[in-house]
Amino acid sequence: MILSPEILAILILDFIFIFFAIIAFILSIKIFLGWDANSTTKKQYRLEKQSFLTAIIIKYIFIVKVPLFLFFIFTLDKMSNVIIGAMCAAGVVDATPYGIYLFIFKIMNLYFFGYWLVIHNEDIKYETQPYTRLKFGIFIGIFFLFIVELILEWLMFSSINIDKMVSCCGTLYSSSSTSSISIIFHINKTLLLSIFYGNFLFIYIFYLLRKKYLFVIANILFILTAISSLIVFFGTYIYELPTHHCPFCFLQSDYYYVGYLIYTLLFIGTFYGIITGFVEKSKGNKIENYKISVIFNFLYVILVSLYPIIFYIKNGVWL
Amino acid sequence: MIELKNITKIYGINTNNKVIALEDINLKIKEGELVVLRGASGSGKSTILSLIAALSKPSSGEVIVDNKRISKLQDNFASIYRRDNIGFVFQKYNLISTLSVKENIILPLVPLNLDVKDVEDKLSVVTKRFNIAHKENTIVRNLSGGEQQRVAIARANINNPKIILADEPTANLDEKLSLNFIDILKELKKLNKTIIIATHDPLFFGLDFVDRELKIHNGKIIS
Amino acid sequence: MKNKINIYLIEYAINSILRQKAKNFFIVFVFILLIFLLTSIFFITNSIKYELETTVDSLPQIIVQKIKAGRQYDIDENVVDQLIKIEGVKDVVSRVWGYYYFANAGVNFSIVGLNEYENQYKNSFKKIIQNVELEKGNTSFMVMGQGVQKVLNENYYDKYFNFIRPNGTLKKVNFAGTFDADTELESNDVIVVSKDTFRDIFDMDENKATDIVVKVSNPKEISMIASKIKLIYPDTRVITSDDLKVSYQNIFDYKSGVFLAIFIISLFTFFIIIYDKSSGLTSEEKREIGILKAIGWKIDDVLKEKFYESFIISSFSYIFGVGLSFIYVYIFHAPLLQNIFTGYSQLKTSFELPFIFDIQTLFLVFFLSVPSYIGATIIPSWRIATLEADEVIR
Repeated sequence: MILSPEILAILILDFIFIFFAIIAFILSIKIFLGWDANSTTKKQYRLEKQSFLTAIIIKYIFIVKVPLFLFFIFTLDKMSNVIIGAMCAAGVVDATPYGIYLFIFKIMNLYFFGYWLVIHNEDIKYETQPYTRLKFGIFIGIFFLFIVELILEWLMFSSINIDKMVSCCGTLYSSSSTSSISIIFHINKTLLLSIFYGNFLFIYIFYLLRKKYLFVIANILFILTAISSLIVFFGTYIYELPTHHCPFCFLQSDYYYVGYLIYTLLFIGTFYGIITGFVEKSKGNKIENYKISVIFNFLYVILVSLYPIIFYIKNGVWL
Repeated sequence: MIELKNITKIYGINTNNKVIALEDINLKIKEGELVVLRGASGSGKSTILSLIAALSKPSSGEVIVDNKRISKLQDNFASIYRRDNIGFVFQKYNLISTLSVKENIILPLVPLNLDVKDVEDKLSVVTKRFNIAHKENTIVRNLSGGEQQRVAIARANINNPKIILADEPTANLDEKLSLNFIDILKELKKLNKTIIIATHDPLFFGLDFVDRELKIHNGKIIS
Repeated sequence: MKNKINIYLIEYAINSILRQKAKNFFIVFVFILLIFLLTSIFFITNSIKYELETTVDSLPQIIVQKIKAGRQYDIDENVVDQLIKIEGVKDVVSRVWGYYYFANAGVNFSIVGLNEYENQYKNSFKKIIQNVELEKGNTSFMVMGQGVQKVLNENYYDKYFNFIRPNGTLKKVNFAGTFDADTELESNDVIVVSKDTFRDIFDMDENKATDIVVKVSNPKEISMIASKIKLIYPDTRVITSDDLKVSYQNIFDYKSGVFLAIFIISLFTFFIIIYDKSSGLTSEEKREIGILKAIGWKIDDVLKEKFYESFIISSFSYIFGVGLSFIYVYIFHAPLLQNIFTGYSQLKTSFELPFIFDIQTLFLVFFLSVPSYIGATIIPSWRIATLEADEVIR
């Protein structure tokens, strides 16, 4: 285990999270079981008060989690200096068996927490609080996912061995690699790009048609197509190297931290896209969600497309 | 417009010193009516005001305002209801004494996140109407009793509520200032507000612009 | 507009903080102190790390030492001829260097022996050789770092210095000047003499050297070549510059980790105090919240106001603490604290901390302070916000 200040800071915050999440979890169970909006008993009043505490705790965790996630990647990048063989965060993620799962859980939980907040904001608009039981029921589920994330984080940091050689991103993200990720390299590039742009086009069409569920599905697929095309195609233009496919290296200062912008756009775009399907009777802000989703996804498409276009203008050839 | 149905309010319901503040109260107040609740202190008239303001919940019975069951409202929505409908002038005024007159008056607007211009407009309407504009930046602590009351009234009116509740408004005022308050009441009445005053001050009895006088004794309306 | 910043609420929050002057002043004071200490420690370690890394970068790529019975011994000069034959090796130089304890001042000097006609393994040494005019035939000269000169001048050595040989006799060496190097850590305590003078002072054999440094054409082959050398000479220790870098980083991460651990304890103590302070409400504070709720503030509004308060307090303390630490470390060069981290001889500690602006440190301190402070106020704020208005304003 590396006792670096960054890791300690993350673990301290994890500890605070666990403390609060457990409180929120217990209260959620109580509310989920005992909630009765029509009742005027003392118990119901108490539950109403506790629902505020639970909500504010979840909000707090989410608000800290978002920048902490960026800090987490930053920390992995820094650790890659110490771990032999690692050039960027990818190597660190690969250094332990937990890394990749931790990453998946982290991203998934960001979506879930965000989704929870959306339901919460819907819920508190109505005097009847129609979603209260639902939202606290959902949190019970999120709690377990969140605990898994924290345990994975602990396992990952404690099992990193700085003396062990790890693969660098160059070998992880290449067609010769044996990892599951290498499948995407066997897809034809033109086909993949057509799917990517086609997918965005569908998002736009479903937005015009206001097809809620198709819009959600198109957005979920867009996460996948966007990331695969980023690794296979767009990434190489960011690095201006035909062989470099790593989806982490462009988070580093050498590429002006552009990765943070890329992923933030993608997250906001798909997040608002996905929630349009889950929020049922919102008062007029559904159109807003559609719009935000389309705008951010569009910005994402523009940003990643600019790299190959500029490269072509400058050099007159494709990679 | 305001309706109290079979209201009973018991304080300390699970303790040994149970106090029955109100017992089976039924009351209807029309829009624009000015009602004076008479009664000694402890008779339950303040409790009626706080039930109408949704500051407390009845032990049984219902409070209905504009067809809305106020007595069932959850804490947050009770606040919204108060913010939009009720102007409450408390007996002790309940001002924050270390803030200025202006800061106190705009307090109900603070969470609304309005533009500066909106706030200033609303402020100038009430400070002019209740004759406190010249003291806007004075710290409340340094005001006289009468001025403090005018600040409290201004604050109660800043959201232009339909219902004004006043609890013992003249308890801390001398006679001249009390008469002043009566003038303010007349003005509010002209604005067609529903006004309910809880008082034991004889000054209010038999005023020509008062629509109704109710006598409360030991938690019951006797006349 | 839903997302506009509510200036009236901020104004109210600031007023509210100022109304509880004594309580909040205490919190802010302690918080600033904690943040200041933490940031200073990170700034200092970052600077030292930078100094060391620059030093390591200027160090040779591979160092070969002879090991006998687990201790380092002088190595034969003829090993150089063998090493130069390895493929990929660009240059091999033998070095003579060591430490000389100057008892009068109680300090250690690093002494390096150089030969005019050899390739120098360090750029700074090349400069020295070029700049100092050597008197032909007289090899008895020395060039020293400014720190050394200062110590010697204080001990009345203005023109020459008498080294004491192992057998007790004196060796007089004339001053030939001082030099600067890239970093102060590297050069402050160094004395450069000729190889002959060095061997004379320390009574070293003609065909021996302290160690041998190897230059490699392609930096990626360093570890490859190092393992080859180890194969040819099993009795040597082969150190590469990468090894040094990693171990330096680990030492400093460890040192600041220990400090962080101590810091965590004080942080938790502080948060218990905050929790306590923000839970213990005066009746006046309770009445205020009661008033707010009575005139139409929602629970969420009160919570938001309390959040603004803790955010203002913690960000103010953060900015102020970090600012103070900037001044302390980079303008006043961190008196007192620096000594904890630079555990070298007295001469070494006099170096100045280079200014390293590392955004990550600022984020690190931010995550350690602001979210945890706000976290500590969540439950007390909630208690306040859910008070029954009716009960507290009566």
